[in-house]
Amino acid sequence: MNPLSSHHRPRRQFLWEMGAGFAGLALTSLLEADGFFGKAQGAELPSDDPLRPKIPTIPTKAKSCIFLFMFGGPSQVDLFDYKPELQKRDGQTVDNEFRRQQKSKATLQASRRTFKQHGQSGLWCSDAFPHISQHMDKLAVVKSLYSDSFSHGSALLQMNSGRILQGHPSLGAWMNYGLGTMNQNLPGYVVMLDPRGGPTTGAPNWASGYMPAVHQGTVLRTSGEPILSLKPPGTMTREMQRREIDFINELNASHLSTHPGASELQARIASYELAFRLQETAPEALDLTQEDPRTIEMYGINEPKPDWHSLALGPSTFGRQCLTARRLVERGVRFVQIYSGGGGAGGQNTWDGHHGIEENLKIHCPEVDKPIAALLADLEQRGLLDETLVVWGGEFGRMPVTEMVNTGGKTGGRDHNPKGFTYWMAGAGVKPGTSYGATDEIGEAAVENPHHLRDLHATILHLMGLDHKRLTYFHGGLENKLTGVIEANVMQGVLA
Amino acid sequence: MFRPKPPLFQCLRGCLCLALVLVTVMANPAIGPRLRSGKFILSDEDRAYWAFQPVRAPSIPATGDAHPVDALLAAKLLEKGLKRSESATPRELVRRVFFDLWGLPPAPEDVAAFAAEPTDEAWAKLIDRLLASPHYGERWARHWLDLVRYAESNGYERDGDKPSAWRYRDYVIQAFNRDKPYDQFIREQLAGDEMAESMPPASEEWKDAIIATGYFRLHVWDDEPDSTVVAEYDDLDDIMVTTGATFMGLTLGCARCHHHKFDPLSQTDYYSLLSFLRSIDPYGLHKTGAFSRGTGKITRALVAPEEIARWEKEKQQRMSAAETELAGAADPAAKAAAEGKLKLIREEMPPFDTALCIAENGPQPVVTHLLARGDAQSPREEVALAFPEVFGQPTPTVSPRSAGSASTGRRTVLADWIASPAHPLTARVMVNRIWQRHFHVGIVPTPDDFGHTGLPPSNQPLLDFLADEFVKQGWSVKQMHRLIMTSRAYRMSSRTQDPRAVVADQDNESLWRQNAHRVDAEVVRDCMLKASGLLNPKAGGPSVYPKLPPEVHSTQDAAGKGWKDSPVEEQNRRSIYLVVKRALKIPLLESLDFANCTSPVGLRPNTTTAPQALMLLNDAFVHQQAAALAARLRRESGDKPESQIQHAFQLVLQRLPQEKELQAAQQLILAQPDNTGLESFCRGVLNLNESIYVD
Repeated sequence: MNPLSSHHRPRRQFLWEMGAGFAGLALTSLLEADGFFGKAQGAELPSDDPLRPKIPTIPTKAKSCIFLFMFGGPSQVDLFDYKPELQKRDGQTVDNEFRRQQKSKATLQASRRTFKQHGQSGLWCSDAFPHISQHMDKLAVVKSLYSDSFSHGSALLQMNSGRILQGHPSLGAWMNYGLGTMNQNLPGYVVMLDPRGGPTTGAPNWASGYMPAVHQGTVLRTSGEPILSLKPPGTMTREMQRREIDFINELNASHLSTHPGASELQARIASYELAFRLQETAPEALDLTQEDPRTIEMYGINEPKPDWHSLALGPSTFGRQCLTARRLVERGVRFVQIYSGGGGAGGQNTWDGHHGIEENLKIHCPEVDKPIAALLADLEQRGLLDETLVVWGGEFGRMPVTEMVNTGGKTGGRDHNPKGFTYWMAGAGVKPGTSYGATDEIGEAAVENPHHLRDLHATILHLMGLDHKRLTYFHGGLENKLTGVIEANVMQGVLA
Repeated sequence: MFRPKPPLFQCLRGCLCLALVLVTVMANPAIGPRLRSGKFILSDEDRAYWAFQPVRAPSIPATGDAHPVDALLAAKLLEKGLKRSESATPRELVRRVFFDLWGLPPAPEDVAAFAAEPTDEAWAKLIDRLLASPHYGERWARHWLDLVRYAESNGYERDGDKPSAWRYRDYVIQAFNRDKPYDQFIREQLAGDEMAESMPPASEEWKDAIIATGYFRLHVWDDEPDSTVVAEYDDLDDIMVTTGATFMGLTLGCARCHHHKFDPLSQTDYYSLLSFLRSIDPYGLHKTGAFSRGTGKITRALVAPEEIARWEKEKQQRMSAAETELAGAADPAAKAAAEGKLKLIREEMPPFDTALCIAENGPQPVVTHLLARGDAQSPREEVALAFPEVFGQPTPTVSPRSAGSASTGRRTVLADWIASPAHPLTARVMVNRIWQRHFHVGIVPTPDDFGHTGLPPSNQPLLDFLADEFVKQGWSVKQMHRLIMTSRAYRMSSRTQDPRAVVADQDNESLWRQNAHRVDAEVVRDCMLKASGLLNPKAGGPSVYPKLPPEVHSTQDAAGKGWKDSPVEEQNRRSIYLVVKRALKIPLLESLDFANCTSPVGLRPNTTTAPQALMLLNDAFVHQQAAALAARLRRESGDKPESQIQHAFQLVLQRLPQEKELQAAQQLILAQPDNTGLESFCRGVLNLNESIYVD
């Protein structure tokens, strides 16, 4: 070992320290390739880099995951969870639990959408998603999820980190911790936000919690500077930056020569080289001019912003992000999360359709419909769908009754519903054309094959080759895991 | 050292912890801590665990060393056939002591002065000088803030502000600067409100005691939890976990849902300890004001009650006058004016300083039940006030409180126990933290866990010697610094002088040399300010909101929410004064492993990443500092590049450049176009490994 780290520290602590790069991995192999570690110095290679690629513990073809997050909570009964009984009983009064243990009388509100069965599988999808519905044979639709919170903040945290409490690592952090990275020149965990703003609670949703910061999500912008501080401000050119880095590393090399074997100092020298390379690789990954115009067209990237509603964006932004996601997974990014909906919850700027579900769907469905359909088709056509897990859903679903409590009596909206909601998955090891589980006859609560969202997390990890019971991280005296302490089960019914 | 990853054992609902094990560890008891299972029975072995034994001063081995710390370390070295490394150079020593105590680089003159007279006396004087400066508290308070997961907002959806939280930060800074005895520091944080009842209201000590209890209000807090009952216990657990880790190095949270899986702490122990805290009025009101979650009394005016009463009376009089005026208003205009006046008076807030602080609701304690599986909905038997059984303490008694008392008095009993010289953990845990900041590894390398899941002390006689001295010297933290820093060991070179040592103890477990280290995030930023000359030394007061790029604010759910950039002159204050907002960390600090602010952090991770390099090369703040440093060089050393380069080296590294370095710098300055060379060079110097690694 070297003078700048110490085995005196607990091993796990020590392991954290070896990270470098977006991609701690990487540094060492890079350095090795560059002949950086002079054998004469007797430097020991840190083989414990936190982002070193690791072999999945469960056989899988999956390499990457794209998580399409419909922030606000999409309405299952208007999209995938067709409920003939709800359609029949429109306007009837029922008892409804609108917040935990707070019952009130409420009026059933049938979907105003038209449902049809699609493809060979005959999976249901409403006319809100005319493009996605053409790909139903690729999807495994889970209709029986439930979670623990009626409010956005804690529900988002739970969907992302398994806990309703803040301070725990997110799914992408766990994946990077468990699998390492495949491309040292790009972040392993990328988050793309809605131009209307971030999700409720913001950055804690993609945090690494008690894990080191190398595992946290990097926010990538598809317009302007893609990564914070990627480029120097002002008029500084790449040549000028190169000279500056050369100066830094020339002096660092001479400093290193007086500290033989100090791997932290070596890693830091390499991190500047990596940073310089990133300035090319990151924009390259985002450069859609390299794409066929037909691809651009397919994702809806050139479609104008609609003028019927000030909040409606059309498919352009999400399309750009979906296409970027494909380019990122092609380049080995492990986990990409894209948020649809942003800015504070409660308004039509997210999927939080309190104030009119029809208007809400009309704003948001076209924003994601064409892009997601294009993503599925594009991944399949390139042979990437086998190795890419696509996940779609929000922090909860919505109620089959009309909203009353939060709208001052105005009807037509739908309130939060963590008791029964829909997710779908596609690609990597997912059983295609599957409808799994069911809510009750009006679509309110999961009743058939009900699964807590920890089972969704267990399933996602499983599909990525990780055993949720064995993927643990030592913190606060304990082995923590994403799925927490209550037993979680992989949803076998959605596995191919 | 290495603990295997055990298979997991499932425990039940509501539990935050996760424990495990069975097969691997049971099969091979030689590795990893042993799993406890079944009924909770305290064994002799449990009681004999090293950390639960009273601290006893060890005999100092006769090694020929004058300093007891050196003698105790030498005994360990001897076992491995090693000896202490030679002293570091005067420059290295002065840098080390400045970074350790102030978190700032020395001035070139400081190095020169000590190099001219590198005696023990000069060394001791230098330490005294640094300890006497307010900069000392500004550095050391931050270590404490890491432990108590200090932040000024609640997290979650609204990330609401914690009012006047900064007064707690200033309290901690002052406590270190004034060398407040550590036992008093503990008592004030845990029971300051109860102590204050017998102090003259509005006196300085009274204010300190109230402000210190802000400790209980620093946790994350959800104003819209799914279950308010569960949330209340989650918040209490957060306080328990922090109190256990911070003061005692115990992982108490592990006993919330079941007996601790490794340490001799039962679930009853957990709830008995919880009963000391159970009467705290919960943090605040639910978002909607409904669901009764405490009264929202989280602040208190820092004046005597009579003064508040006087102000209220005076307000009432003005209200009455305005009401009379309203009643007598002759025309609509007069009526509107009077109404406006009345409204203004009615909405007036008391014009007093306030502190974020604890509140209880009278002397009658809230009953605590053991919760089956930690489930708030499954209360079982009532538990009595007690300390964990393994400590072998008599049942605590609370002195009777008067009917008018604002609290149960229970926390005073808890604080007295923790702050007792006889407590086997308190002094050990704190001296270990101090040691860790001077050697960059603790004697117990897991500073927040002295239990079986942590690591054992590498040198228990040394730990016990320090703990014993700490108490004997009145719990003086500054005396601990002096004791440790005057040792030869502290002053050793961090370089490898003896190749045999690398073979015998590659990991430096026996401390045959000092440990070089990267400085913390705040220190990186403060060093730049110091070098550029822009550092605003203003101390204390409300936090500073630095200007951040719009892209950073755009990750919030509402861009810019709760953020108002502070005036320009405030922007360049020390990092400890920057606001800590849970939903929006400052990217420069966060990239350099800033504390997570949600759980106690006695040891930050230390990562090296490409985004760090990008941040330090391209962040707007860094560019400002480089520009200011360049301007300073021009101002102070004229137009000649050679003098400018030399001056920069002195300011940042406290040495002159070597010939090769000088040439490289000159080349860079010449090569960069449009007169940007000097600034580029300055940025380069600030980015050097040598600038942020201390030997």
